Amino acid sequence: MSAPLSHLDLLEAESIHIFREAAAQFRKPVLMYSIGKDSTVLLHLARKAFFPEKPPFSLLHVDTTWKFREMIAFRDKTARDLGLELIVHTNQDGLARGINPIDHAPSVYTDVMKTAALKQALDMHGFDAAFGGARRDEEASRAKERVFSFRAAGHRWDPRKQRPEMWRLLNGRLGSGETARVFPLSNWTEKDVWRYLAREKLDVVPLYFAAMRPTVERNGQLLVVDDERFKLKPGEHVEARRVRFRTLGCYPLTAAVGSEASDIEGVVAETLAARTSERVGRLIDHDQSGAMEKKKQEGYF
Amino acid sequence: MTALTRINEARSTPLATGSLNGILRVLTCGSVDDGKSTLIGRLLWDASDLFDDQRATLERGRRIDGGHPDYSLLVDGLVAEREQGITIDIAWRYFDTATRRFVVIDSPGHEQYTRNMASGASHADVAIMLVDARAGIKKQTKRHAAILDLVGLKRVVLAVNKMDLAGWSEQRFREIERDFKAIAARFHFDDAVAIPVSAALGDNVARPSDMMDWYRGPTLLSHLESLPSRGAEAAGPFRMPVQTVLRQGVDFRGLAGTVSSGAIHVGDPVVDPVSGRAANVKRIATFDGDLQRAAVGQAIVLQLDADIDMSRGAILAAAEGRPHAARDLDTHLVWLSDTPFDTDNGYLLRTATDLVPVSAMEITSRLDLETLAEHPASTCAANDIVLARISLGRPTALDLFLKAGETGSFMLVDPISGATVAGGVVTELAEAEPKGARKAGVFVLSRDNLECGLCADLGGGAADQVEFRRRANEVALLLSAAGIAVELDLQS
Repeated sequence: MSAPLSHLDLLEAESIHIFREAAAQFRKPVLMYSIGKDSTVLLHLARKAFFPEKPPFSLLHVDTTWKFREMIAFRDKTARDLGLELIVHTNQDGLARGINPIDHAPSVYTDVMKTAALKQALDMHGFDAAFGGARRDEEASRAKERVFSFRAAGHRWDPRKQRPEMWRLLNGRLGSGETARVFPLSNWTEKDVWRYLAREKLDVVPLYFAAMRPTVERNGQLLVVDDERFKLKPGEHVEARRVRFRTLGCYPLTAAVGSEASDIEGVVAETLAARTSERVGRLIDHDQSGAMEKKKQEGYF
Repeated sequence: MTALTRINEARSTPLATGSLNGILRVLTCGSVDDGKSTLIGRLLWDASDLFDDQRATLERGRRIDGGHPDYSLLVDGLVAEREQGITIDIAWRYFDTATRRFVVIDSPGHEQYTRNMASGASHADVAIMLVDARAGIKKQTKRHAAILDLVGLKRVVLAVNKMDLAGWSEQRFREIERDFKAIAARFHFDDAVAIPVSAALGDNVARPSDMMDWYRGPTLLSHLESLPSRGAEAAGPFRMPVQTVLRQGVDFRGLAGTVSSGAIHVGDPVVDPVSGRAANVKRIATFDGDLQRAAVGQAIVLQLDADIDMSRGAILAAAEGRPHAARDLDTHLVWLSDTPFDTDNGYLLRTATDLVPVSAMEITSRLDLETLAEHPASTCAANDIVLARISLGRPTALDLFLKAGETGSFMLVDPISGATVAGGVVTELAEAEPKGARKAGVFVLSRDNLECGLCADLGGGAADQVEFRRRANEVALLLSAAGIAVELDLQS
């Protein structure tokens, strides 16, 4: 007899099962690759699911043009190393209108450069399903999300119209105009993601590890200055601090934390002992009560 | 040692817990009045790795009687629900103790949410049923037990809550426990225990109560920690529904899937119950290297020693006690859709990996969940649990649910909207009749019919054959929606 499966083994197998079901049931799926740690795990699981073949879908990155430079370098290297097609999409209309995270409210910026951009990319390429790395442990409205989550025409999410899921059965038959979001990491937690990255010895963007970086303290959060577009407010000054990121997004909207964890074991140790949830570092979530639910109804991933 | 100290120790040695000892999925059912959300909130508060910002949110929130935080705020998710003060959907919560991962699936208890509870319960390993000690067992407790039994739950716990408001009375608890055992005995549960708790004060949730010396049993948390983990038991006959075929070069054709029951070794004989063809397992392949053995819950790729043309929708099974190549089934199902059952609609039946047109379907009776009596019926609507006879357009591999749950359950799908309209379990099966013994008045849609026109553009390759099957299913569906009894015969 073999040893009983650990909880990471069970989570891995469940995710592989979800990938295979989605690839079999949807006509043209795509993997939403956001470069972060969850995407790294997602992509690794996709490789396992279709071994010895390559994953039968492309990677899609919605580029707001405000990602950290290290993220873009990591993205391009990953796609090249794995021999997968990478589609990079930017909302050109938003870019032309100069929508950016410094001059515009986070809600406006997110809506134009992320939500609208994603819809454009899905429509332009005719994708009927998109894999995402969202987890139910991230936020209250995500705690109710399905593994196969359906979007009406226009990509709107209606929480009351989601399909019940029973046992391990997954129903991916689409109604007219519908598309799906597929969440293979639904039952993973932040800790699982780190434990798994360590167990599988996966590379992540170096921003996840502590290093001296130029930072600015704003509203009690530490922001990292990645290029000359960052604008200092009166009284602010740039100071080198040893920081890392628990979650990665657009650089002016993602806060870092002070940390000494300079390798994956250190991050796992800090994560297991962490006292705050990772979304504390996501500035866009704190806009209003039920912020995530509203964003999702409008088509945010 | 209390659960809380154990968790704190786990935190102080984080690297020792690289991976936890399995997962337990816990369903909680009961109504708002029974304090269900408070109980889950309390479990998270006392026993888990809850984050400080989540704790702060709770501290900022409203307070309830006695001045303690409203723990239910940790659980009630969607804005609409929060505003209405009820839980209408299933919410998933995750927490770790020193020994294992807990997944709490919170489902609503009211009668109009039977369907939500059934779908939530289908994912669980154990259910916590909640009653108010002052009110005792209510009609809904019996209804809940019936739903849990329908979806295959084997372990249930009755949390007798609000013991503080019932004077911590042993007599009261024993009365309720007796009533509960009498109800539980009517179902297929392996394990049914009652525990007296106070969710608001925390007694017997994660720490033993100082107020009930007469109770010698475990706290709710320690009971849950003692139950076997998901995937720990490889009992049952080997089953692997085939999800897809994966190839490498000309030599490797692997059948990919998740073992849904039992275990398999290299060299074991396996059979495809629909075609009857058999072969032996040559390799168990994974990304991380070949295995000698794989058991329930593992996602693998099987290479066989003979090319028995199987693809998605088939089930690989142990030769002994194999699944049926089923065409006519008796089922119990819970209706999930707001649109009632319609004999003219035409439905698809989704098994583990197959999608088969339903050629005929008839509701025979409805289960009264209060009395557990069956009443003759021909219709059904949202939240009904009914007995239904289903005939399939072509045979597919199915088990009896009590024998192998994952290959004995299914969903009914509306072919036009794609919506999942019902979830069901197989209670009786009739083997497909031999070829040629067709009922009068049934149109047989054969491979020949399809090859000469609709599918003339398709060749014999694997991808083309998947498309062939898809078109055949859709044609069968349109015909049956038009009132023509149809059977698919795709054997060449």
